[in-house]
Amino acid sequence: MKSLLVALSLTTALVMPAMAMARPVTLTTTLSNYGGDGAYLALYVTDAAGAYAGSLWMAGGKSKYYKHMTDWYRATNGDTAQIDGITGASVGAGRTLDISVDLSDALFDAGYVLHIDAAVENMRESPKEVSIPLTTDGAGTPVKGRRYIADFTYNM
Amino acid sequence: MRKTLTFLAATTAITAGIGLPAWSAVRASMDQDSLPIAAAIGSEPRAMSLIFVSGNDDDDDEGERSRGSRTSDDDDEEDDDDYDDDDGDATCTGVGNPAPAGTMAPPQNGLFGNGAPPQAQVN
Repeated sequence: MKSLLVALSLTTALVMPAMAMARPVTLTTTLSNYGGDGAYLALYVTDAAGAYAGSLWMAGGKSKYYKHMTDWYRATNGDTAQIDGITGASVGAGRTLDISVDLSDALFDAGYVLHIDAAVENMRESPKEVSIPLTTDGAGTPVKGRRYIADFTYNM
Repeated sequence: MRKTLTFLAATTAITAGIGLPAWSAVRASMDQDSLPIAAAIGSEPRAMSLIFVSGNDDDDDEGERSRGSRTSDDDDEEDDDDYDDDDGDATCTGVGNPAPAGTMAPPQNGLFGNGAPPQAQVN
């Protein structure tokens, strides 16, 4: 009986950190009615030093437009391998993009910042339309965008 | 009797002079009329000219392509949506579009957990 309890506590101790390594997060981006075509959005993360850490989502499937998301493009050199498997359609004006993603715990309260670059055809580019530190306290708090994004929220 | 022979020779000469060209013309027109029959049978080499006509159509198409390049250019523009960019050379440098979500696993960039792959919905 005692050995069984020891084994149980050992397996729990091993499994719990693995389960706690990531958490489901919903990223909600609502666009304003800017009166243009669908917006391309690049969601990516920089670390505490401001260096590019990786991409979370790309809204817009044509690589020819990626250079208009200037900061993301500069950080990645337009490398589409960065967004393979995490690319969807562009988002129309006034619409809301909901992204459900399983994010690493290490991203929160560690100086990581989530950025969104936006671009709309025949309209001005908007790098870092949104920049929001990833903190547990900041979850659920809407942040306004600069030009095309009415607000952005992440919920855990 | 002599008069009769002279008259006979004269009429023969006249008949021959007029009749021979007329007979030749009739024969020639009969030969031309017989051409479609030969073509229908297909034994005449000239029947092949029917195929040659369709070859000319092809030539016309090529002509249209070179002359009326507007239509084909339009098609090109539609097909090359990737090229129509005002100042877009991303495609020209050989960079392809990324794999859409759901078609492959997300990149191993350390941001994602091992749970479900990212999913998006536009409302």
